[in-house]
Formats: sequence, structure tokens, C-alpha cells
Amino acid sequence: MEKYNFVTVFDLLIDYIKSGRIRLDKNRFPQRACYHDPCNYGRRAQRRFGRGFFEEPRWILDQCMNDWVDLHPNRMDQVCCGGGGGALTTGYNEERIFYGRRKMEQIKAAGAQMVVIPCHSCHGQLNNIKTEYAMEDLEVKYLWELVADCMVLS
Amino acid sequence: MPSSEPIELTSLDLARCRSWPYSQDHCVTCGLCASSCPVSGVDGFDPRKLIRLISLGLDEAAAESRWPWICTLCGKCENACPMEIDIADAVRRVRSLRDRDQVPGILQQGLEAALEAGNNLRLPTEDFIFIIEDVAEEVAEEPGFEGFTAPIDKKGARLLTTIHNKLVNTHTEDLKHWWKIFHAAGEDWTISSVNWEGTSWGYFTGDDRAIKTMAGRIVEQMETLSINTLLWPE
Repeated sequence: MEKYNFVTVFDLLIDYIKSGRIRLDKNRFPQRACYHDPCNYGRRAQRRFGRGFFEEPRWILDQCMNDWVDLHPNRMDQVCCGGGGGALTTGYNEERIFYGRRKMEQIKAAGAQMVVIPCHSCHGQLNNIKTEYAMEDLEVKYLWELVADCMVLS
Repeated sequence: MPSSEPIELTSLDLARCRSWPYSQDHCVTCGLCASSCPVSGVDGFDPRKLIRLISLGLDEAAAESRWPWICTLCGKCENACPMEIDIADAVRRVRSLRDRDQVPGILQQGLEAALEAGNNLRLPTEDFIFIIEDVAEEVAEEPGFEGFTAPIDKKGARLLTTIHNKLVNTHTEDLKHWWKIFHAAGEDWTISSVNWEGTSWGYFTGDDRAIKTMAGRIVEQMETLSINTLLWPE
């Protein structure tokens, strides 16, 4: 395995930002955002591999926005969006939508207009269920989408 | 579900929680897992019941139920468990016990497509390349990204990235974010024209062999293209 190098989305973004290869303008999104820890990047990675990615995405958010908040609870105690484990593809949609209620309650309580996520499943789930919870205006954004939208191009 | 039937001891699988044999037998039935699970109560499910079924050797009953599929493998239960039982891992193992034609939804269908054709959509290589080039042209029309191209099968590039099938299907706009970042950062990157699939549905169906096959193919592509760094955003 020495032969190959694997980078996570977080490592690569942090590398680009710290080395100055990309520059970010943190004033483009004045609205309040919140961050959702995907189970597999956070809690499960911590348990399986002894290394959960909790602080890295938060550091990246600090470079992109002035007003973002954590959901409660978060990190190891974060609540699953309900879209994990293949739930978007099993056809058990009623269960999946019900599952998502806790996540939507968290986001509402945070007063956030945007939720930033580094996971395709979470992104799909929240975009899918937001209308069910009368939160059509909630912007669901990939972490790397936020970074791309904050880039200052020379 | 059998109630008065005697339990067949030969069906006991002591290694159902793979990382720690007998782990399920340490359950103290405290109910912390049940309290922490967002779908406890749905269809009578709760993680404790599932662990008890395994502990009693009633794996088949567990595998036939919808429970392992209502669970999202989020791991809140095992995080709360005072006995450190790998509950989510056990759920995944129970998923693997289902006959493959009984796997719910489109999971097995997508996985078989990926194993046979290299991606969940059975998208032919020429269609894939057409989509990539089409979206790349759109990016090149945006200010600041003049001259942008998405390099396919570039030998010796520094970085290979996989692609989530939905990004070449219904969500092509979302291909652009990483591409723009690569462009701005001056990254030397590429996409493989074959076996580009980043999702690995064997993770969801409990099929470890499929996961290994698909990961192996990505490594093969790194070898073929002489690339040593992989970004696997899925």
C-alpha cells in the first residue's frame, strides 16, 4: 500500500487552501449555515479506524463563511440524516423520511438557511426530504461546492 | 417469527460481530441503543432486538425482516453501547444473509451492473466520455475557466478521481465543483474512462467481495495510468 497515496476530500481542500493554491473570499455567503457530520466520515471512521474527520471540515468552513454554527448534538453524537446505508435506494421511503425528522429539527433549531455536507448520500437525502418538513428554502450544499463558490479567480 | 420453537444451536454464529467474536453475547439489554436509534419503534425495530436475535441464533428471522434495511448503519447505537458491541457491523452482516434476489430496491441491480459493466448505470464508455466532455465545455464558458478541459485517462497525472454515478446521470451540475477547484489549484488530475464508479453498493448489501473487486479495479486503473494519488469523494 506504500505505493499508493489516498487523499480525503478534507486533506486535499486543506492542502489547496493552506498552500495558497486557491484563495477564498469569506464574504460571499452572509446567511447562517450549519455543518452536518456524515456518519461514515465522523463517528464510524472514529470507531473503525481511530480517526474521525471532525475538525477538518470545520476549519474549511471557517475559511469560507463568517456565520456558521454547529448542530446540537454533533461530532460523535451527531444525528444521522436518514439517507445512509443505502436508504435512498431500498424503496423504504416512508421510513427514510420519518428518519430524517431529527435532522430537520436540529437544522431548524440552529436557525440555519444553509446546511453544508461532505457526503453524497446526506446531500441527496436532505434535498429530497426538505419539502416534507416545509423547509423548501433550505440550501443543501456540498462542502466542495461551497469552496468552489468562494474561490477568488485571478 | 418462531416463538415456541426450540432454538437450533448449530445455527448460532458466534462470530456474527466479526471484529469481536461473541460480542453479541455481551449485550446487557440495557436499551441505550434502542433509545439512541432514530428509527426505534418503526416496524417494531430496535437495535437491541436485533442483537438479541443474533445472540439466540435466530439469524434467519433477522435476515428475513425489514429491520436491517430500515437501519442506516449510522452507528449511534454502538456509540451509546456500554459493552462496545459493534452493532452496525452486525446489521451489515445480517444484510449479507439475504438471498441476493431479495435485496430491497435497486441496490443489487446497481451492484450487478457495476460488477459487470464497471458502473451502477451500465453507462457505456462512449456515453460517459460524451457527458464528461459536454459538461467540461459548459465549464469552459464560465468566466475564469477559459480553456478548461476534463482530462480523461491522462497517463502520469498526479491525481485520479472517481465519479459518483448520479453526477453523470441526473446531477451533472455537481460535476463542476471539484473540476473548478482543480482548475484554480493548477492540479494535474484525471478521470478514468472505465471503472470510474465511486460508489460501492456492496457496502450496503453486505457484500465484501464486491467491495474488494471494485476497489481493486480502481487500483488497477492507477497502475495502468501510472498515478499514485487517489481522491475517492464518494
